[in-house]
Amino acid sequence: MSNIVENYADLLQEKHLTEDVLTSPYKWEPVDPSAIGEKKVLFGICRHCMQGDCSTLVHIEDGIVTKVEGNDIPPNYGSLCPRGNAAIMGLYNPYRVKTPLMRTNPEKGLDVDPKWKEITWDEALDITANELKKAFEYDPRSIVVNEGWGSKDTLLRPAFVKAFKTPNEVGSHGSLCAVHYGTGLIHGNFPVSLPDLEYCNYHITIGRSLGPNFATAHGSKRLAKALARGMKLVVVDPRCSHEASKGEWVPIRPGSDLAFLLGMAHVMFYEIDKLDWQFLKERTNARYLIRPDGYYARDKETNKPLVWDNTSQKAVPYDTKDIDSPLEGRFMVDGVEMATGYTLIKERFKEYTPEWAEELCTVPASTIRRIANEFVEHAQIGSTIEIDGVTLPFRPVSLNMERNVMSHRYGVYADLVGKLINMMVGAIEVPGACLGSGYRGESVLAPTEDGTMSPGSEAVPVPFKFPPDHIGMQEFFPHAHATPHIVTYAVENPEEFYLDYEIRVWLGVGVNMIRTNAQPERYVEMFKKIPFHADIVYHMDEQAVMADVLLPEHSFLERLRVMPFFPSHQSFDDTVTGLQMIQLRQPVPKLFNTMHVDHILMELAERAGRMYGEGGLLDCINKFDCHIIHDHGMHMREPYLLDLNTKYTYEEIIDRWLKSWKFNDEGKGFKELNEEGAFIKWQPKYTFYHYYHWPGDSTKHEFYFINLKKVGDSLKNNLRKYNIKFPMIDDEDYIFDLYDPVPHWVESSEWNAPEEYDLFAFNWKPPYVSSDVGNVIGNPWMAELYRKDPFEGAACLNPRTAAAKGLKDGDWVRISSRYGSIECPIITSERFHPDGIGISGTYGPGNVGSNPLNTKGPHFNRLIPTSIDTIDPVSASQEIAPKVKVEKIPKPTRS
Amino acid sequence: MKFGMLIDLRKCVGCFACTVACKAEHATPTDISYNKVKKYEVGTYPSVKLKHLPMPCMHCDNPSCMEVCPTGATQKQDNGIVTVDANECIGCKACMIACPYESRQFLSEIKPYYEGQERTPFEVYMQKDFQVGTVVKCDGCIDRVREGLEPACVQTCITGARIFGDLDDPNSEISRLIASSGAVPFQRELGTEPSVYYIF
Repeated sequence: MSNIVENYADLLQEKHLTEDVLTSPYKWEPVDPSAIGEKKVLFGICRHCMQGDCSTLVHIEDGIVTKVEGNDIPPNYGSLCPRGNAAIMGLYNPYRVKTPLMRTNPEKGLDVDPKWKEITWDEALDITANELKKAFEYDPRSIVVNEGWGSKDTLLRPAFVKAFKTPNEVGSHGSLCAVHYGTGLIHGNFPVSLPDLEYCNYHITIGRSLGPNFATAHGSKRLAKALARGMKLVVVDPRCSHEASKGEWVPIRPGSDLAFLLGMAHVMFYEIDKLDWQFLKERTNARYLIRPDGYYARDKETNKPLVWDNTSQKAVPYDTKDIDSPLEGRFMVDGVEMATGYTLIKERFKEYTPEWAEELCTVPASTIRRIANEFVEHAQIGSTIEIDGVTLPFRPVSLNMERNVMSHRYGVYADLVGKLINMMVGAIEVPGACLGSGYRGESVLAPTEDGTMSPGSEAVPVPFKFPPDHIGMQEFFPHAHATPHIVTYAVENPEEFYLDYEIRVWLGVGVNMIRTNAQPERYVEMFKKIPFHADIVYHMDEQAVMADVLLPEHSFLERLRVMPFFPSHQSFDDTVTGLQMIQLRQPVPKLFNTMHVDHILMELAERAGRMYGEGGLLDCINKFDCHIIHDHGMHMREPYLLDLNTKYTYEEIIDRWLKSWKFNDEGKGFKELNEEGAFIKWQPKYTFYHYYHWPGDSTKHEFYFINLKKVGDSLKNNLRKYNIKFPMIDDEDYIFDLYDPVPHWVESSEWNAPEEYDLFAFNWKPPYVSSDVGNVIGNPWMAELYRKDPFEGAACLNPRTAAAKGLKDGDWVRISSRYGSIECPIITSERFHPDGIGISGTYGPGNVGSNPLNTKGPHFNRLIPTSIDTIDPVSASQEIAPKVKVEKIPKPTRS
Repeated sequence: MKFGMLIDLRKCVGCFACTVACKAEHATPTDISYNKVKKYEVGTYPSVKLKHLPMPCMHCDNPSCMEVCPTGATQKQDNGIVTVDANECIGCKACMIACPYESRQFLSEIKPYYEGQERTPFEVYMQKDFQVGTVVKCDGCIDRVREGLEPACVQTCITGARIFGDLDDPNSEISRLIASSGAVPFQRELGTEPSVYYIF
């Protein structure tokens, strides 16, 4: 129950606001008279998708923003997607929160009027800072900082979290998109691994988008160029999407991707004899000898992992020179039989024939065989390429998996099988191949004493601690990306999750967990239990209406932003390889009584006593290290470090950050950035390929996934040590079966659903919506498009599936999983797999006071499970292909 | 000089960036679009494709819309662009019937973008020249073109599917591409001699 009404009763004497006032465009701040007659163009950065890095130009006439267009610099080179073109409507959105608000109604719910009362910024900041201060003094863990895609536009949030010493950073975005483990383990990188479209000649993409599926400008541009020069594109997807229509569409039963990948790997292990043997031997741990307990056999003297030497007929340290070391085989070492890692995987994969895979995924065995063979043939094993005078291996093929592959109980295994396939042809971190995005530099592939590179990013486990600190149980899910779904259970039942503290303050930053996560009612109920909930908000969305205090932030066009370039989510080519860049968004005049999100965070830190001195916000800014690009990004260094007891403006902090930028050799700062719009530097392209830094056998990738096993065993040992069970799980094998160093077939929670649930529901992001960053669903220019698109707001069915159920276009249906249901009309289409029912976007559910557009359409996420017995225990990824049943219902009378 | 456009449908991914860039450029009122993109499917499962056909005004050399205009509101400009003068248009809709490409719409009212709300400052500022009761259409971004810029739909295209240029210059990029690719207008047989070419 919220404490706000009780604690701040003295502030609640005046009349509160009605809903009508809140949702009308009242109090536009008048145009500055001096702006009349003036035309100007500002530098901009888009923020209407998760990538949020398209360079723009923002035109202002007479104080009105009249045009946002692409700027002809990297990464989008002048183009802009539909959402980016609609940014103006995000600015002039009447459903924005326009002034600080406090609820006066203690009852909370999506349909319950909070009876907002307008308060001053001083009041809003003081109330929130006071609650933060009290919670910090009680226990820093009692503070949750909850981030969404909106918060990606802040520079200070990560440092703010550190300043409040809370482990409880809860990311809303990502629990339906936990796609990072394999990239961390094999590429040492974050967030994902991508095809090198400058050179790639054969690209298989599963469960992901290269750009076109959600209209990302620069990804789409790179794909179009690659296709124009003849790259073959194979799209494995239950839906013939925008990009599947540009290549070969391989329809697959939703939620069965692991079977396809295992079948493909089987063909490569057993039916093709021209793999990249040199890569497997020199650059992986595939020939390392594995003990019966699953760990490396080690040299007694040096502790180095052992390999078999045919010449001396004995096991020797892996780095022994001039040996004949087989990839495959079983050998007796000290009286114990040991197999190579390669052997263990190959033997395990023997049963995964293409015929076996076809039964599960419906892709014909002949197609799986053909694709595996084409992949190997196109890999040009043994070839090299010269880039600017440097010779590197050349493997112009890449298999890439993402959200719709990884968001199942077996998601991490599927990701890792994909990595095995790439490694079998040597297509890892060389030109034309699969490359990790994120930090591109020398340190990434640096070897450990075992010869293999260190896992990076989310493949580095969160240390175990008991009782756990993290409200989302990161200690039990050490490789999780984000665990908001687990938080809902932990808040509901803290004892079962061994928590020895309670959440006192919830601070949302550009986030809406209720819409963007599964089972919205769970989040609604959780928010009812939070004693104090403040949100830094843009518009009156589902999470905002549950809050006690709303701290309204600028829309993105009003928000000053300085941003280092992050290698992207879709692909690479020469438009970005080697690029180092700082982009700038100059703010347009603000329309309402809003603040910049970073100003809000600075004010809260100052008022809560967490700004100055050691461990304060300034200190944490000095120590901030970007988890994606590390010292290539905003990384404060001498002589620009902040003095810990000086009050800085935001612009002064940015100026020091810019002058500290690693690639800034001219001492340029904020003034120069405003003049130039961007700092652009190019590094030699060959340095972008990590093979260059660690050539030959100087480093190795894991083929046998020893680190997965180590973390699983460590977690199991800790359960024993503390004599505890895994929360909500009776059979712990259900967890630890997913920590095997050899991936294998695992059924998702949906495979054994009762027979009446006969279709797999699945979802994708349409171009109009993407991840709904900046509430593009509520943007009327987008609505004009999606309302006319027959495949939006509807459930898509193969015509034969529909006919078998007696359904036709326009019929209304109730689609029910075992976790929730939605209602919408159906549309039939030949572009859909007969075993699936496709529902796009993240429409609905809406709330009191919201933009009416946000209340329309089916909310797919209602169908998704959240409980621990349905998720991938390694990544904590949720299952996004729930089994459903479909019943015809009368067409509703409402619109 | 005759401006024309080449749309490479092999590159179009149906993202509607052109449609929205056009809306932003011209502040076209709710439900008015000068740059529609038609979406359709060909084939049957599993041999099926999703296709898109962007449909701006074809700026025909022989514009049937102009022929039927009783007031002379529709004009073919020297640079090839077909325009409508709202001050001359009487809203008779004859041009809408005559145009085989459905490029024209009748502006019956100007509804606010945010339904049920006041018009935004953008609308108030940008929609001054719209006259209810007239017919509206793509003007080839004639103001941009006169400044030496490309039309908004061309500049924004995320795959570079649109090429804009001078059809009278045999050495222009567009002329060379049309010649080398065998691009043709949509439904050339209608005889309106469009200035928009497609690579199908």
